[in-house]
Amino acid sequence: MAVKEAVELLKKGTSFARRTKYREALACYDKALALDPASAEGWYLRASVLIETGKNTEALVDCEKAIRLNPHYADAWSKKGLALFNLERFEEAVFACTRALALNANDATAWYVKGVSLDELGKSDEAQEAYGRSLELEIILDMDAERKKVRKA
Amino acid sequence: MIAIKAEMPLSKPIRRFLSRTEETLDTEISLLRNPEAEPGGTLVDIYSYDIEKNVIIFPAHYIGLLKDFIIAKHCTHLLIKGAATKKAKYLVCSYNGDTVYRGMRQIYFDALKDEAKKDTKLPVKKLLQMLFILYNHFHEDINEVPWNPITNASVYYRMPKIRKTQLYHVMKESKADMDEMMDQESIIPRRYFVLNKAMFYARDMFLAKTLPADELLPTINIPQMKKFNHLEVKEMLTTRWTHTAWYQSKVFGDNMVEILDKHLGLVDWGAEPSIDYYYELYRTGVNLTNHLLAYMTMKDWFVWETPAHLLEAHQKKKEYEDEALKKIFGDLIADS
Repeated sequence: MAVKEAVELLKKGTSFARRTKYREALACYDKALALDPASAEGWYLRASVLIETGKNTEALVDCEKAIRLNPHYADAWSKKGLALFNLERFEEAVFACTRALALNANDATAWYVKGVSLDELGKSDEAQEAYGRSLELEIILDMDAERKKVRKA
Repeated sequence: MIAIKAEMPLSKPIRRFLSRTEETLDTEISLLRNPEAEPGGTLVDIYSYDIEKNVIIFPAHYIGLLKDFIIAKHCTHLLIKGAATKKAKYLVCSYNGDTVYRGMRQIYFDALKDEAKKDTKLPVKKLLQMLFILYNHFHEDINEVPWNPITNASVYYRMPKIRKTQLYHVMKESKADMDEMMDQESIIPRRYFVLNKAMFYARDMFLAKTLPADELLPTINIPQMKKFNHLEVKEMLTTRWTHTAWYQSKVFGDNMVEILDKHLGLVDWGAEPSIDYYYELYRTGVNLTNHLLAYMTMKDWFVWETPAHLLEAHQKKKEYEDEALKKIFGDLIADS
């Protein structure tokens, strides 16, 4: 019962987050996690909003909780990479992104964050390779977004 | 507008360019993601609007290099505007009651010539509506098209690491621009359809040469122009290509390419990126705009004025349209 309610709260939180109502989204996620602290998705979603609001240290903690609950959670590793980059912990960001990409090689953000982190570490050639992969995937996403726009119109 | 203030990673060259832009102009730039943003992004700047901070807005799903190019392009444009403001005066193509009248009047005469050849005439109401819509369309184009190759060339030379991203954006933009007006081809006067396509053709030809990227050539990238690729002279003369709007666009476009080359060929794209460099880009843009307007016999359609003048003109555009219609049609137009 509690788990079902938690799932509903996560959906509600995500809806708020999409409309950039981050305070409301966080409130929903907090309630959801109080009901079901074993929800890796809950910790991940909360981390995403925390990053949007600049709270990278707290986001990192949430990402790590998500990963402890589900070590194969690609999105959580990717988000961890982003939080670490924002905290200027570039070596760790590269590691986290690499883990994310081993689980899901089609994560454009993870490739990009890996690229910018490698750039910061002075590893320019590797950075360019990561950027190249990121761009390929971003283009696919963009073309998809354009197709959806045309269908809606 | 739902805008998401971006906490986002930026690649090193872009971060540096953003910083340098802020330092050079002594201003601040915010980045915003917006699900409704135009694919090419939007620059809302302190030189064009009465605001305190510049904002670059881009689509929410641009998470990596796609947004980096948008930022680079708009920073370049911001530098051009800022340099003009600092060195002299930043002016834009604006309009007033007289220029709107002149433009609409010319469009009306051209529309009459076209209508005379058609079997099915355009309803009068639609014809009247079209006059200002077309005028406004060219106003938007002339404030955008001459600056596009300038900002793109500058970004190309200064940001080699995002060239692949740039190519993708430019090709996408080219296809979207060429698709403009397609639904109205049978309605708008041929002359304006042709000139609209010609401007984009010229831009794409210049960029194809500069980037360099054969894929950008309109005869390769644009479906309607593919048939003109490798056309033999004999084939051109024996087939009735000359009657098609797209062929005419190519002919006018080739002339506009020469105009672009004349002005943009003089620019030292690799010069030190100082205020003077960006001011030179501004002057080049103004000269190019004037030359294109003269070629299209639209010189008296617009006036160079301050951005504030343009904002006020936008407020008054309905008034200008109504006045122009009254002047053209006299008592035949009922007071609204």
